[in-house]
Amino acid sequence: MVRHIAGQLAQAVLLLIAVVIIIYCLLQLIPGDPIQAMVGDVPVPAALRAALEKRFQLDQPFLTRLIGYLGNILHGDLGYSMTYRRPVLDILAERFPRTLLLAGIGYGFGITIGIAIGIHSAVTKHRGVDQAWSSLVLIGYAMPTFWVGQLLVMAFSIQLGWLPTQGMGPMISRAQGLDWILERATYLVLPVLTYTILETTRVARFMRASVSETLEQGYIVTARQKGLSRREIIMGHVVRNSILPVITVMGYSFGTAMGGAVLLETVFSYPGVGSLMVESVRQRDTQVIVGVVILVACSVVVMNVVVDLLYAWLDPRIRIASARR
Amino acid sequence: MSVDANTIGRLQRSRKSASLDLLRRLFRTRFGGIGLVILMVITLLSVFAPLFATTGPLELGAPSMQPPSGQYLLGTDSLGRDLRSVMLYAGRSSLTIGFCAAAMAFLIGGTVGALAGYFRGPLAAVLLRITDLFHTLPAIIIVLFSVSLLGANFWLQVAAVALAIWPIEARIVYGQFITLSEREFVLAARAAGLSTFHIIFREILPNALPTVIVQVSLDASTAILIEAGLGFLGLSDPTVPSWGEMLNRGQEYLELAWWMSVFPGAAICVAVLGFNLFADGVTEMFNPRASAAPPKLEG
Repeated sequence: MVRHIAGQLAQAVLLLIAVVIIIYCLLQLIPGDPIQAMVGDVPVPAALRAALEKRFQLDQPFLTRLIGYLGNILHGDLGYSMTYRRPVLDILAERFPRTLLLAGIGYGFGITIGIAIGIHSAVTKHRGVDQAWSSLVLIGYAMPTFWVGQLLVMAFSIQLGWLPTQGMGPMISRAQGLDWILERATYLVLPVLTYTILETTRVARFMRASVSETLEQGYIVTARQKGLSRREIIMGHVVRNSILPVITVMGYSFGTAMGGAVLLETVFSYPGVGSLMVESVRQRDTQVIVGVVILVACSVVVMNVVVDLLYAWLDPRIRIASARR
Repeated sequence: MSVDANTIGRLQRSRKSASLDLLRRLFRTRFGGIGLVILMVITLLSVFAPLFATTGPLELGAPSMQPPSGQYLLGTDSLGRDLRSVMLYAGRSSLTIGFCAAAMAFLIGGTVGALAGYFRGPLAAVLLRITDLFHTLPAIIIVLFSVSLLGANFWLQVAAVALAIWPIEARIVYGQFITLSEREFVLAARAAGLSTFHIIFREILPNALPTVIVQVSLDASTAILIEAGLGFLGLSDPTVPSWGEMLNRGQEYLELAWWMSVFPGAAICVAVLGFNLFADGVTEMFNPRASAAPPKLEG
């Protein structure tokens, strides 16, 4: 098991280094003179140019700069944001937990509800119920995330006036303790709901397919002939076996979920990593963009490792095989 | 070899009836027919946009912010454009991105997947690693990154979307090549001394086609969604109207003009649904077990 984990981690680290190298190479493709861009629309004196080249190591060969860059990242130095006048790492440290909170809650609800719908859709005796779920899921799957957000805002904030839409808390607040949490929570309801709808449709689709496949297996026939009740078969045999592939798929689509946050946070002006990325693209704040890309890559890779380990732990076949080695 | 005209005629007839037969089978699947009809309708509406539109896409002049009415079917926007016309022309660019990005993703991913799947060995290892690398980053992040580097030109945007979605295509084609190149007909072609080119393009590819068509169709829907996201963020080409860009404008007027957001979003939803249903139908057609009604538990 330890060897399995070590192998996974080594691969993950290599993948991350490769991502950083590719991003660095792509950055070299930006047309224009970097020093001119730093100084602005004025002629650059030769002395200043030389000083800047030395300061940012632009006079060094490409490989030296690349290694220096990798070293900086390992030390947690992701550069400095010109727009926010702060180190990039600070901004990310402030914003990432918020995105995790939003995505985490939405993901949790989405997986739970999606699994329930998928199972119900696959095992129900009424073809009409299955058709209804399938159609709903298909439509939900086709709706752009941010549009769902807009529709919910129109319904719950503008028409009904129940919930706030922008940001993650009131500008001025005197609330304390539990009231403070409740006040904050009202701001989270709509973004989380949107997220949940999005994730639910995806999970339900996979879960239905997975359960249908399980139902065709020989052990279900055996279980039936043993005289087990419908309930016992579903709880004891179908659910356990169908959930495994879904967990893998959901783990690997964590990246897509992070991508969804980019659009969602913009709809609700939620100050997370996604809206940071969009603002930085608009401001052409390259250091921040690269920081976000590296952060997202890291979290996706970490999530993949977690899923691999979870899978190895949940599936006795893999658990035993790796223990024997 | 001499073939008389009669035989050729018969062959052509049989080919025609074969494609008719395929169509019939597609319409017999659960959703395939609906998908195809949706796709045909929106494609025709965009291609013949000038026939159905009342004004040009960027033409102003109507009173602004009119709700849907008999005169302005889908209402007018904040600038005084007839939304019905804007929608039709915007459909052109959204569909163009869908089709072109999917085609490009197929070219890149298909080539990578075919090379890796056919030749295997170290080449495959390298190609698959590269695929993984791109797959690590979410598509929208790749597209945003490319747009921030290259700017918001329409065709660069198509390329950026293709760059973001090709890895899935590569994976699918790779899988097909791995399975198919072990099958008897490929071994027979090898034994007959046919060229590698012939084996890849005439033997394996036609047999991988159903799976590939499904993936290309799903890619097109993904591309439309990504474009919509980009437009919504206000980062698409400002000179080309698109459904996403319309939603960006609508976001400011959510309280005043629901029609500015509802209709473009619904259009995106319908187009994506069309591609997805079509893909589902094709899957069901060639692999009836995959999405036909599952066996039900009795008792």
